Amino acid sequence: MAATSKSTVLLKAVKKITIQFCPFESNVRSTREFLALVGSEKVRSTNTNCEVISVVKHDKSEPVIDVTYVDGERLVMKGEWLTCREMLSAFQSRCKDKDPQIKAGAKK
Amino acid sequence: MTYFLLKMSATLCVKLQRNQGWLPLIQSVRHGSKAVTRHKKPVHILKQKLIAVTQYIPPARTVPPGAYPSEEKHVQEDNEFVLLLKKNLEEVFEECKMIAVVQTNACSVDDMLMLRHRLCKHSIKIRFFPNQVMRSFLSNSVYSNMAPLFIGPTVLFVSKEPKVKEMMSALRVSPQMTLLGACIDNTLLSSQGVVSYAKLPSLTVVQGELVSGLTMLTSRTAFMLQRHPAHLSALLQQYIKQQSPDDGAEATPKAEEAS
Repeated sequence: MAATSKSTVLLKAVKKITIQFCPFESNVRSTREFLALVGSEKVRSTNTNCEVISVVKHDKSEPVIDVTYVDGERLVMKGEWLTCREMLSAFQSRCKDKDPQIKAGAKK
Repeated sequence: MTYFLLKMSATLCVKLQRNQGWLPLIQSVRHGSKAVTRHKKPVHILKQKLIAVTQYIPPARTVPPGAYPSEEKHVQEDNEFVLLLKKNLEEVFEECKMIAVVQTNACSVDDMLMLRHRLCKHSIKIRFFPNQVMRSFLSNSVYSNMAPLFIGPTVLFVSKEPKVKEMMSALRVSPQMTLLGACIDNTLLSSQGVVSYAKLPSLTVVQGELVSGLTMLTSRTAFMLQRHPAHLSALLQQYIKQQSPDDGAEATPKAEEAS
């Protein structure tokens, strides 16, 4: 899994990540893998202000990953049919887009 | 045109025909489509239909029984380490009343140590088994519905006594551990089930409540039956009390008069 390149991404661009899933369903594998990657110590240490919240439900609902960025934008990923890599690449691309903007704004 | 030419040639050729070896005057030139072409000529629809209908369908050849070696199902024999792990798992499931499945997202070693220390005080052990071994064990046992929980980095919290409250408090402190489910007293519970289990009062309290609820009706009927005699006895006692102060009050003024 592309976990090593993640360590540079989670800086200051993400405010909160909420991951909700129902572990007894069969379609949660990718969501759980995403949680394992995002919730690891290495990644979370890059931005201690960012909260990673996992909600475990039991109502056969589809797994949803809700990312709230610092500028208020939200990224909602429904992980039922997505692979972990797709979700990761989408998340990383958006983080990269936001990060240079923030850096440029801070410099100015 | 050709008929006229024919007639003309017929009159002219009468004599010519007698001479053998002459080429005929009229030669019909075949033009149009050729039979043999360099490209693949499209087959006429009728011919296509005919070919389609009369195509040869060979009979399905069955493989004679002993021809190919039979495909053996991939039953990999477990190596000894796996057998040992499965034995441990069996013991764990037999001994421990509470088995909780928690997803750890790459906890640091320090956090794990702190968590272990906290849970050890309440005799809750943290055990790790590989997911494959776990799933193969569970599929053979009664607890097969727990199998979908074991994906990704998971860890078991086992204890002989179902000490759910302490476990929940320890988990609340460490945010990266996610409680997925638990098997308490051979009952599979989700995380919400575990939370509601933690909020249940203790067994003695529940039993007391049950007993009181059951006896409430009978106690009410007994009270109703005894209400009249009880009322009467209360009135009589009150009367006696009233009588005795009056006697005491009469006795004390007589005593004062006497003195």
